[in-house]
Amino acid sequence: MKPESKLPFSNCTHCGLCLPVCPTYQQSGDENNSPRGRLRLWSEEAAGRLPADPWTDFYSAQCLGCLACESACPAHVPYGQLFERTRHEQASTGRFRPRLPLRLAAALLRRGRLLDLALSPLRLWRRLGLPLHPLLPPGRPALWQDSASYAAALMQRHRPNGPRVALLTGCLTEAALREINFATLRVLIENNCQVVVPRQQVCCGAMLEHSGQDGVEALRQRNRDAFASLEVEAVLSNAAGCGFALQKTLQPEIAVRDVLSFLAELGPKRRQRAANDGRRLHVDLPCHLLHGQRQGGIAPSVLDATGLPWALAPMAAECCGSGGVYNVQQPAEARAILQRKAAFLEQAAGDPPVLATANPVCMMQWHSARSLGLVNRHFEVRHVLELLDPGPL
Amino acid sequence: MNAADLARQLRALLPRGRVLTSAPQLAGYASDGLGFKAWLPDAVVIPADAQELAQFMRGAVALNLPVIMRGAGTSLSGGPVAAQGGVVVHTSGLRAIRHLEANGLWCEVECGVSLQELEQVLLPHGLFYPPDPSSGPVCTLGGNVASNAGGAHCFRYGVTSNYVLGVEALMLDGSLHRFGGPAGGRGPWREDWKRFMIGSEGTLAAFTRFWLRLLPLPEKIWTFRATFADLRATEAAIHALVAHPSAPAAIELLDPRAVAMVESSQMACGLPQGSFMLLVEIDGPAALVDGRVAEVAQLLRDAGSGDVQFSDEAAIRQRLWKARKAAGGLLGQLSPSYVVQDAVIPKRALAEVLQLVYDEADAAGIATVNIFHAGDGNLHPNFLFDARQPDQLEKVERISKRLMQRVVEVGGTLSGEHGIGNDKAAYMPMVFGIVGTRLQLAVAAAFNPAHQLNPLKVFEQRRFCA
Repeated sequence: MKPESKLPFSNCTHCGLCLPVCPTYQQSGDENNSPRGRLRLWSEEAAGRLPADPWTDFYSAQCLGCLACESACPAHVPYGQLFERTRHEQASTGRFRPRLPLRLAAALLRRGRLLDLALSPLRLWRRLGLPLHPLLPPGRPALWQDSASYAAALMQRHRPNGPRVALLTGCLTEAALREINFATLRVLIENNCQVVVPRQQVCCGAMLEHSGQDGVEALRQRNRDAFASLEVEAVLSNAAGCGFALQKTLQPEIAVRDVLSFLAELGPKRRQRAANDGRRLHVDLPCHLLHGQRQGGIAPSVLDATGLPWALAPMAAECCGSGGVYNVQQPAEARAILQRKAAFLEQAAGDPPVLATANPVCMMQWHSARSLGLVNRHFEVRHVLELLDPGPL
Repeated sequence: MNAADLARQLRALLPRGRVLTSAPQLAGYASDGLGFKAWLPDAVVIPADAQELAQFMRGAVALNLPVIMRGAGTSLSGGPVAAQGGVVVHTSGLRAIRHLEANGLWCEVECGVSLQELEQVLLPHGLFYPPDPSSGPVCTLGGNVASNAGGAHCFRYGVTSNYVLGVEALMLDGSLHRFGGPAGGRGPWREDWKRFMIGSEGTLAAFTRFWLRLLPLPEKIWTFRATFADLRATEAAIHALVAHPSAPAAIELLDPRAVAMVESSQMACGLPQGSFMLLVEIDGPAALVDGRVAEVAQLLRDAGSGDVQFSDEAAIRQRLWKARKAAGGLLGQLSPSYVVQDAVIPKRALAEVLQLVYDEADAAGIATVNIFHAGDGNLHPNFLFDARQPDQLEKVERISKRLMQRVVEVGGTLSGEHGIGNDKAAYMPMVFGIVGTRLQLAVAAAFNPAHQLNPLKVFEQRRFCA
């Protein structure tokens, strides 16, 4: 950390209101493992009062980056920015080492669509229903057709004339969980939106930010170029974390919105359900929707439109442990955090209970509650957009 | 004892808990809510549970180091910090709500339970624990009992000591003692022993658990906000409210700078700028309080408010209180460092002493923000400064001293709820003469002969002699 750092560590008055919302403080009971503690460590090091120390690196690495502390902070300490900067500096100097899958993913991401190619076997695997990584939920993504051509085909067929929007497809979502993008496109077009999916778009950079790796600015520039001349009302994202990262890239010039909050304003078409549909939704709220994009949550009108009874999951506003890439980087801690949150599913109402959320990486984390045996009872994990999906159009 | 020996010895005492001894681990525990002051401990321990805390206390004397109990570290007086070095004991592992007797209106909790955790458990039973310091989302009952915490609603409900039925505490020899219990009263002997413990700021014993008195939630709450052009009119309203038979639960004052600060934050709730604001609450049976709403509103108008608003909607109430209670942290928008005073004065002197605060701060070029429990006469002048410039802190200390002198002259006390800690220990000679100080020190020494527990707090003379 350089002493001339401009971001104000010192805004922190040490009031402690961040402690009760911090998952790692709640888990460990150690002040150093809280936002207030980490800010103290970083500022002491920046001021030259503490040498670089493995313990500082340890507590820094423990942070999920959920940003719940930013919402709780009355002094406006820009914790997220400070955290990202520190993580990047620690990664550059070898004090934070992203795990191999993250380094590989970063290397592929920086080379355009290589990640998409490299992960394409996952789609086949998922279609065949073969057991895979504990983080990958079951699903039936299209094998070869991408979201851009699917969007073009749907637009051609239905010719919607409502608001014109672009969709951020997301690198991981498009490569491995493409069916969520397809469902998103069907919902938008059913609700009369004109959707463009620029092929030039790349990863939003969130994965690199979370893991402190280089190359964020290059990706941002490519996305600025990809979305600049589309003349859309907004660029929409179905992944809370990617949407937040793209907001940092494109706003204020181009509005970036979460698909669900955009749909709430349109009043989405409601799904009809069979009388014997026993599913009940337990809605979890992604941190980067609440604390990054600063949305109050998911609009009740959107959840009502799923046609299924819903309620917020217990601790819905607390991080599930995904933290973007946290469950890859710190799997044991992520699992412990999820265990606390997921326990309710054993007794939750619904046949089956459905855990509904608005971020593919949160879905993956919730799925691991099943695959890792944290919850023994059968439950489903769904993106809210999948629950609004009209099916083949 | 060198650091490695200390670490070894502590690990032997706490095989299941955590022992922190490296420099960065200690830095996180160097301050409480008085963030600009830092004292590094020699070690921090986080006992896994009450049993391990007892084990630690049995070995504490042999450590020959100060022992400082710490809850969430939100104290504003430099209380749970290692002013003379030593071992900080963080009670985050003692978070069990052991028993709730909803019909009997009491509960048994461990010292590390936060007020918010307790509130969440009580709410479904229609019960509440009245003391409500602004740090409620995080502060622990251990800290609350140690500083006899108050809060906005203590104007009618009273402070922590009114709700503690019993205290269980570990002495320095590791022996466990109970003062009072679920039945409350005064314990086995006629003297009210538990009162020794409440407000003792960690100088007598280490608390492990408490038996607390609870109340049924009021059926109806009305929240008022009224703005006033000047301090005199505000003071008139406070006097009228205090004397009114509606017996307000809370009477809070925000000065114009505090209002501006709230409005420039995410806690903004549409408060009019540039005026003094009173936040008032009445509660009780619906039939009773509904009938008093118009009367209270008229009282506020008669005192000179041109803008009185009131509501019984929970969402509006919560927003107003959230804004009020985040005040300490909000100060960070204006300044990295601040000192908050906590004097209580007879209410007749309120406007006069507050004017003194403004005059002294203006003369010294130090910004001040005032948000406080006006009904109790419990002032909280916040002095904002830059701790990196030594002359600024000196100025703040000079203003604080002059304020405290005036507080004592008008018949007030040094602290209403934050405790003395080490921040206000220097003012103690203003209220205790030689004999008074000797008696006070004798009480602490009876429990804690070498002042090993939380030295240099409350009285500057309380130094641990190894």
